[in-house]
Amino acid sequence: MGLIQRAIEAEGIPTVGISILKEVTQKVRPPRALFLRYPFGHPLGEAFHAAQQRTILSDALSALETVTQPGTILEPGYRWRRHRFE
Amino acid sequence: MALPKDIANTVLVQVYKHLPWLGSRWARRRRFVEGQGVPWAHLAKPLSESVVALVTTAGVHLKSHEPFDMDDPDGDPSFRAIPSGARGDDLVITHKYYDHSAADRDINVVLPLDRLRELLAEKRIGGIGPFAYGFMGHIDGPHLRTLVETTAPEVARLLKQDGADAAVLTPA
Repeated sequence: MGLIQRAIEAEGIPTVGISILKEVTQKVRPPRALFLRYPFGHPLGEAFHAAQQRTILSDALSALETVTQPGTILEPGYRWRRHRFE
Repeated sequence: MALPKDIANTVLVQVYKHLPWLGSRWARRRRFVEGQGVPWAHLAKPLSESVVALVTTAGVHLKSHEPFDMDDPDGDPSFRAIPSGARGDDLVITHKYYDHSAADRDINVVLPLDRLRELLAEKRIGGIGPFAYGFMGHIDGPHLRTLVETTAPEVARLLKQDGADAAVLTPA
């Protein structure tokens, strides 16, 4: 996924990617990433948990405005099925 | 009847889902196309005025699209353009290398189009690109080159044509 992200950024469109495998993200080096320690297949969290999904998407979007260092991996630290999203 | 290799794949998918350290070990040992430098583009205007598009490698496509090729062990480097107005019922996931049972029930788990529409309604973003782009991950061998040299740059150009000011990428 990081390769696609890099290609889009290279075309001049800023990108942010959600990552659930930090080791891969560290190697591929996309411009901005939001890392979650979540199981495969759940980058936005649990099914029908709109608040959780919206928070994660919103965090990713924020990175477009706040990240200034290329290759930054943000870690909000949400714990799978433990964190309470409002 | 399921072939033994399909059963083995199904077991592996569950093992990797429930034992995340295995995925980390796999990632440490496997070679990736490592980034030389990091490309960088600035957001040209505030997020609240920016058109945002989604790109996913979770294997999502319209039911009317041709499914991704599951028979090639190196994956399928092609992509599908998904109208951003698509609803969960219009979409399906073709990807046998991860457990998408949650995303099958609620597509927003991998392609958060409903959440993006809510953020637009709240004026957190300025617009939604007309299309989301769906790839399948798990691309290897000769298809990596096709992805890097052909299909990924093609999607980048399409996003530009679509007027996207930013893109959010979601994995499987």
